[in-house]
Amino acid sequence: MARYGMALDYKNCINCKACEVACKEENGVLLGADKHRIWVGVNEIEGVWPNLSISSSSFLPSQCQQCDNAPCEEVCPTHATYYDENGVVRVDSDKCILCSYCMNACPYDARYVDDRTVTVDKCTFCSDTRLARGLTTTACQNTCPTKVRTFGDLDDPESEISILLKTRDHFSLKANLGTEPKLFYLT
Amino acid sequence: MEVEISRRRFLQGSVALTVVGGTMAGTTALFSEEEKATSASPRVPKTVTTKTGTGKAEEIPFLCGMCVNKCAGFARVENGIITKLDPNPYFPKSRNMLCPRGNAGIQTAYDPDRLKYPMVRIGKRGSGKYKRVSWEEAYDAILNGTKLFKGLKQILDEEKDNRSTIGYCNGEGLSKEGFETLVGQKLGSPNYVDEVSICLETAGGGFFATLGVYPEIDFEHSDYLIISGANRAEAIITPDTMDMFKRTKGRGIKTVCIDPRFTNTAAKADKWLPVNPGTDLAFVLALTWVVFNENLQNEAFMKKYGVGYEEYKQHILSHKYTPEWAEPICGIKAEDIYTIAREFMNAEAPVYYPGRRSIFSPNDYQLRRAMAIFQALSGNIDKKGGYIYGNPIMLPPEYVNAPIYAQAKPRFDTEGIAFPTLKSGSWIVFRNMILEGKNPYPVRVMFMRKHNPMMSVPNTAKTRKFLEKMDLNVMIDILPSDTAMFADVILPEASYLERTSPVKSYGFLEPAIVQRKAAIKPLYETKEPEVIYKELAEKLAKPLFEISKKYDKDLQEQIKLRGEKKVFKEDGWNLADAWEKPVHEKNKEIVEKAFGPKAWEILDEKGVYYPHMEEYHKQLNPNEFQYYPKNRRFYSTMGDKKRVICKYDHLATRGIDPMPTWHDEWKFSVPEGKFRVITGRHAQFTQSGTTNNAMLRDLIPTNYLWINKGVAKKMGIEFGDMVEIKSEVGKGRLMAYPTEKIAPNQVFMLHGFGSESKGLELAYGNGANDAAILKDDIEPVFGAAVMHSTNVEIRKV
Ligand code: SF4
Ligand code: SF4
Ligand code: SF4
Ligand code: SF4
Repeated sequence: MARYGMALDYKNCINCKACEVACKEENGVLLGADKHRIWVGVNEIEGVWPNLSISSSSFLPSQCQQCDNAPCEEVCPTHATYYDENGVVRVDSDKCILCSYCMNACPYDARYVDDRTVTVDKCTFCSDTRLARGLTTTACQNTCPTKVRTFGDLDDPESEISILLKTRDHFSLKANLGTEPKLFYLT
Repeated sequence: MEVEISRRRFLQGSVALTVVGGTMAGTTALFSEEEKATSASPRVPKTVTTKTGTGKAEEIPFLCGMCVNKCAGFARVENGIITKLDPNPYFPKSRNMLCPRGNAGIQTAYDPDRLKYPMVRIGKRGSGKYKRVSWEEAYDAILNGTKLFKGLKQILDEEKDNRSTIGYCNGEGLSKEGFETLVGQKLGSPNYVDEVSICLETAGGGFFATLGVYPEIDFEHSDYLIISGANRAEAIITPDTMDMFKRTKGRGIKTVCIDPRFTNTAAKADKWLPVNPGTDLAFVLALTWVVFNENLQNEAFMKKYGVGYEEYKQHILSHKYTPEWAEPICGIKAEDIYTIAREFMNAEAPVYYPGRRSIFSPNDYQLRRAMAIFQALSGNIDKKGGYIYGNPIMLPPEYVNAPIYAQAKPRFDTEGIAFPTLKSGSWIVFRNMILEGKNPYPVRVMFMRKHNPMMSVPNTAKTRKFLEKMDLNVMIDILPSDTAMFADVILPEASYLERTSPVKSYGFLEPAIVQRKAAIKPLYETKEPEVIYKELAEKLAKPLFEISKKYDKDLQEQIKLRGEKKVFKEDGWNLADAWEKPVHEKNKEIVEKAFGPKAWEILDEKGVYYPHMEEYHKQLNPNEFQYYPKNRRFYSTMGDKKRVICKYDHLATRGIDPMPTWHDEWKFSVPEGKFRVITGRHAQFTQSGTTNNAMLRDLIPTNYLWINKGVAKKMGIEFGDMVEIKSEVGKGRLMAYPTEKIAPNQVFMLHGFGSESKGLELAYGNGANDAAILKDDIEPVFGAAVMHSTNVEIRKV
């Protein structure tokens, strides 16, 4: 039992998409631009050449926020979406009827339809692949060139992620919605 | 059969979702359906990506071959299928990471378009019509030809054993040297060209001539960075990319990015200054002027190590290379130049990043010299936070017993070049002199491997003519590239995940040796390159020896003196003797001899070895590892041996400026209504070799033409519109991406797209090929290709 979360040192991100490829290869995710568990948000730069605002063009790596108070779970009529023993929000594809309520309820657009199972899929924190094998890193974390991501147990005060969150300022996305994300962006 | 087809459909389905325009390929002439059926194999996964399992798996250390960096990884193999590539935490150079291309390497190995078996041409050159043959038949076709083309035996007979009638080209990689051994040393051809003269030749050459090293950078301890003509966020170089961007953005390294366009590197910088293409030299000279004018340099350092230092100072000051002079040339404001020069010299550990590819302008060699000297002025060389010479691990040299061919003539590609390089020559000059009939003897054969000059050497039309001119073209590769389509005989190679490669040494600051091990056996009927070299050598040795016997007086003499058998064996005429032992066995022998059996054990298991690795290597946190403790890293190794060659008189003997000097012919200008086309890279693609990779193609569907937003608006061009780009040498079509990230008189396109080979189902007809558009200009020192000198017209179609 753990309560898994991820801290993102997002200023390191160079938008290389190694994380996206690693995720697809590790978890057997379908190809297709709209079929991804993980992505990097990019703002089109502000300004007119040559006066461009560097700060307006940040890269924001993102994925399912693994909310502690997940709207997707709340709306799911068949309880296909559930919290597993490590606090990871998971989808049981046997129960999913593709009503797509969860896709609409998720404020982070983290869910998509897997055409093979015709059910909803999203980031699992590699629970059924890497974690199931006893590994302690996710595929996206492990491969990142600039080491943006730190995955770990938020309940363990000694874990790297707990230390990071204690020692560095951070924010959550759309914190005002009360979803209590377990993804933390380090500043 | 079903396996293969369903895999292909799968790809098409997914691509259809992401491609906005562009052509999808129809059927290929390369493989008939029947042939496809026999190539289906249980060893190829049924789906594009395979979810990793929780059961038994092997973890095999490999080195990535998707680009030049050779990152280390472990391949997870389940039931004979590679399901995942994970980073290897032992290699200091790759710092426990694989980039997107490295992760997508699986798709290259399992690419349905792979060359699967040897093929001999049965249609017109370039038509893509081939017949599947056995390896023996393919080797035989190289030796004896077919109805459609002459074989090596006849050609060498006609040329009276002038081995120089063979030309050969080769791409970067761990099996490169073996190919050079085969064609260069064993077959005796001096006419070799490779990626160097279309890539980093002037960068390497300029730095070497000035500092005696093309340095590594210690980004962990540097605090100020000028990065120009290099885009490390997208053109990834290890460990620079990883080390640099952990500390930019106000976290240690103040970064100034000099680039004509706003790249992802610019996005991570504190300051981005768009420079006029090809004028960085004026910028560096002005920086240098500020330093001398205000006496900001480390005078003691330069007095001690500088050669021609005082003259250089006078040279800069007397030419009045002031920021005000430079501003109109390079487009960077004088006040910015003053600030940067002062900040650089006041910084604790400043770095002017050496850059790498490409050769952007004719003055590139001088630019690199000026950069190196400017760095030296700070004294931040051969020390923590600066340029590193380090202490690379030396592997014992290998000796090849090669015959000496009396009839072979020297290479000739020297026109317009001050310092021709004997080893790798100049692609453009070699090709063009042959096309213009300036070669002193006929060049009739091209042996090619893992190289795609149709898409990498500027002016594709000329490369096409060049390849058509040959009597015999042989290609060893993994995919049916545009260049492979001009081959008479195609030999399919095992991809990097299917072969064990010769052991290699990397790194100056934290050196290590590495070994790539085959994760799976060669797929289909492909073979490891070293096996191909050996078998081809065996096939050619005796018959070609007979030809030498006919024409080579020295050989005849030797045979008279010592007997044929002895000469054949002792003088290297038995061409295959260079590959007597399989690669893995040879690696073991080399490593055990140099570092002991324990070292081999570690290397073979972990893929990496360096002295004291077991003691030094430790995990620091979930993401980071220590490879060498700080007090064991090779920060300073040169002592009093280092030199800064400010004035290099030898250059003047061949008409090259001995000190970096600006010439007004290098000024940037674009005629009204035209654009300067610039090219570059992307983190999701290396070169033409990766554009058929399903995973990467999924991330970047095509190469867009970046065009300034305001200009596009005036021209009525919107995002996704198809435009034609046309220069004096060629044209192409691609989709427009109007953006503020580029100047009004410039356009940008990614390199590596626009393939014309129908054998590449995903790459075919997708985007435009920059090589077809770029003029074949060369710079004067080495005859290396200048990439950013072409003006183009743009038109909506
Ligand atoms: S791998 Fe890391 S740097 Fe690359 S896009 Fe993902 S988070 Fe960003
Ligand atoms: S981010 Fe969306 S999908 Fe993920 S837990 Fe929160 S609401 Fe559910
Ligand atoms: S944690 Fe695993 S499943 Fe989630 S985005 Fe990262 S790699 Fe994908
Ligand atoms: S940088 Fe990427 S493509 Fe190049 S060797 Fe490393 S992982 Fe492979």
